[in-house]
Amino acid sequence: MIQLLRIELFKIFKRPRTYISFGIVTAITFVIQLAMLSDGKSFVGFALQGVSEQFDIHGNIMNGYLIAYIILQSLLIHIPLLVALVAGDALAGEAGMGTLRLMLTKPVSRRKLVLVKFAGSFIYTVLLIIWLAVVALFLSIALFGKGDMINLKSDAFVMVLQDDIMWRYGAAFLFATLAMTTIASMSLLLSAFADNSIGPIVSTMGIVVVLTILSNLELPLFAVIKPYLFTTHMIGWKGFFDDPVPYAAIWRSAIVLCAYTVFFVTVTVLYFNKKDIKS
Amino acid sequence: MRRISVLFVIVFCCFAFTASAVDAQKLFGDLRTKVLQVKDYTAEVKMKINVSYMRIPQLGGTLYFKSPDKMRLERHGGLSILPKKNINLTLSNLIPTGNVSVIDAGTATILGKTVRILKVIPEDEQSEIVLAKIWVEEGSLLALRTQTTTRNEGTILMDLEYSKYAEYGLPDKVTIYMDLKDYKLPKGVTMDYDDLAPAKAAKEPVNKKGNIQISYLSYVINKGLSDGVFKVKE
Amino acid sequence: MEPILEVRGLTKSFKKFRAVDDLSFTIQRGEVYGFLGQNGAGKSTTMRMVLGLIFPDSGSIFIDGKEFNNDRRYLLKNVGAIIERPDLYGYLSGWDNLRMFASLTGKQIGDERIDEVLTIVGLKGREKDKVGAYSQGMKQRMGIAIAMVHDPELLILDEPTNGLDPQGIADMRSLIRSLSKDHGKTVLVSSHLLYEIEQVASSMLIIHKGKKVSDGKVSELLHPDDTLTEIQFEFNADIRTAIMGSEWAGRIVNVDEEQMTVKMNPAGIPALNNWLVAHGAGITGISSKHSFEQYFLSITDDSVIKDRAI
Repeated sequence: MIQLLRIELFKIFKRPRTYISFGIVTAITFVIQLAMLSDGKSFVGFALQGVSEQFDIHGNIMNGYLIAYIILQSLLIHIPLLVALVAGDALAGEAGMGTLRLMLTKPVSRRKLVLVKFAGSFIYTVLLIIWLAVVALFLSIALFGKGDMINLKSDAFVMVLQDDIMWRYGAAFLFATLAMTTIASMSLLLSAFADNSIGPIVSTMGIVVVLTILSNLELPLFAVIKPYLFTTHMIGWKGFFDDPVPYAAIWRSAIVLCAYTVFFVTVTVLYFNKKDIKS
Repeated sequence: MRRISVLFVIVFCCFAFTASAVDAQKLFGDLRTKVLQVKDYTAEVKMKINVSYMRIPQLGGTLYFKSPDKMRLERHGGLSILPKKNINLTLSNLIPTGNVSVIDAGTATILGKTVRILKVIPEDEQSEIVLAKIWVEEGSLLALRTQTTTRNEGTILMDLEYSKYAEYGLPDKVTIYMDLKDYKLPKGVTMDYDDLAPAKAAKEPVNKKGNIQISYLSYVINKGLSDGVFKVKE
Repeated sequence: MEPILEVRGLTKSFKKFRAVDDLSFTIQRGEVYGFLGQNGAGKSTTMRMVLGLIFPDSGSIFIDGKEFNNDRRYLLKNVGAIIERPDLYGYLSGWDNLRMFASLTGKQIGDERIDEVLTIVGLKGREKDKVGAYSQGMKQRMGIAIAMVHDPELLILDEPTNGLDPQGIADMRSLIRSLSKDHGKTVLVSSHLLYEIEQVASSMLIIHKGKKVSDGKVSELLHPDDTLTEIQFEFNADIRTAIMGSEWAGRIVNVDEEQMTVKMNPAGIPALNNWLVAHGAGITGISSKHSFEQYFLSITDDSVIKDRAI
């Protein structure tokens, strides 16, 4: 199993495509940072319009912590695509290349192969999130400095003191890793169904986009299904920037995400174990 | 005889009224003099904002004041949040200046202390303050409560508590009560994480009143502050 | 001697299409077993089932006398295979590809063995190049290297000469023969070309539309005495009568106005030719084709005949 995982990681990190994701994360981050450097004031003005009638807020509002938060918002749309690039490719890509066939003529357990593919995608996801932390958080702090963080919610203005932030980011990145692992497991399942990697990657994105819209629609019809959509829970990391932190809700979200992940991986193993390799 | 006594009563009443009017005017004058003796100060403060839609922890910082109306909160790298400029947190700005009419509005009890209520109306029609109601403890010459009606900013109610710096008329603790406006951002913009708790039992009525408590830990008074201190860095 | 691979009643359908239909065959240890059938006859599907890539609807597979489904991973340790094209990781070097697949075999394989296998397949010196830059022939040889790196007893090679140039085809044939003769391996090799099988295999099986058509020793199925010789000459009644009374009479399969077909060992053709000339027949052409090949061609389509042009 360890040997299989070593091979999987070797394959993932020998492949140029893997590093595109890290480049994209860096690029998204740079773009947002540049935009904030040049246009941060008007953004602040817009963001604070709800409170500025009654309060004067001064200081380094556009600090690294806030920028990092704004960048993390993009987790919702961009990072799942990057995770799908690897996880969606895991089985389907090898099927498409034909290497899956060659691999399975070797004495390799299909169940272990799926688990290793999942583990490989997980490790890639972790590295991607760590990289995101480096460029989004640490680079933003270097560029914009530190300060208290304003977190605007639709019904509240939350302020987190600067010496109370780092642990929140640590927790938020952990949670984001869990959310992206769920995406990876879903991508892997779609990957097991397909014989080329485009299908699972596009389907992953489609599912994430559609479910995100459903999660955010304020319609009574969707209110019933909302708690069961994993996209509703994927933004649980934001909870760590609330005051007080809604731990019960975050736990519930984490459990839902774990349950989805286990479900996706289990179905992948069951399906792949019986799949005819025709590619 | 009856006439005389009636006349006496009338005269006495007039006198008494005049005397109390004079007292009230003097009391206000003394209070104002005491308050205005502080030209500037630097104070270490702790501030707690109790506003339903703002979730802000207690903020520590240094509050700079310079007469008549300069004020700044320095948070040592953090963000400073103060009520909008015109609502000043300091007594000197909530007490009308210039020629005023003072009316004695009787007495009241605040925290077990008997206080005299003064109604102060500025004679200058351009004054931002339309009416100030001040609860003054006569013995110590301290304002324990003020209610100031301003032209543009509504009515501001402020409670003050004193101990160490009473001789300067500087409070140890100030609570400012304010009316709140609505706060709402579209969810599509904020993309909130709702904690999905059983739909927050029929939305509790939003409290439209808020207050800000400022505790002054220490003062440095009348050491001369340059205006540069108050320049806002963005 | 116990068979190394035994297949009984193997059946597989994809939706309504029956790809393999009640197929049974047995491969003895050490032989090269040819698996002949036109494209789409069910060869690849059968090989995939033998390797556990596709699950049969019914039937059973025994390797070394053990039922395959019960111990797929253990049995695969002793099997090496390429199915269709050997698809490799193009972004990795030849060495990395070989090293990686070697480590999946469950056996300890040292660098010397990898070197040795690279030498056997003739890729030594090119192992550092990315596989993406390999020619089709090099990829095919790398596929063989991957199939044999863990020294398995049974090699399953699906159309190993596909896409190779004539020299590559010749090299592949001698490699397969040497695997059996010098290394004692059992090889199951498939092709849609009879003469490919004929040149390397000792036994063979023909399938058509998923069903077994024929099987047996190549030497028996392709016995020279069963060669069909077609002779075109000017017929006249005299010659016809003379032939019917000659030693060849019993071997004549067919006679018409223009040609005669005789089932005979090709060694006898000069004698027949001399006899005909002596009896005044003007011969315009002689060609011979094995009866089995004739039979095979009759069940396959025209495209296969064109392929023979190589």
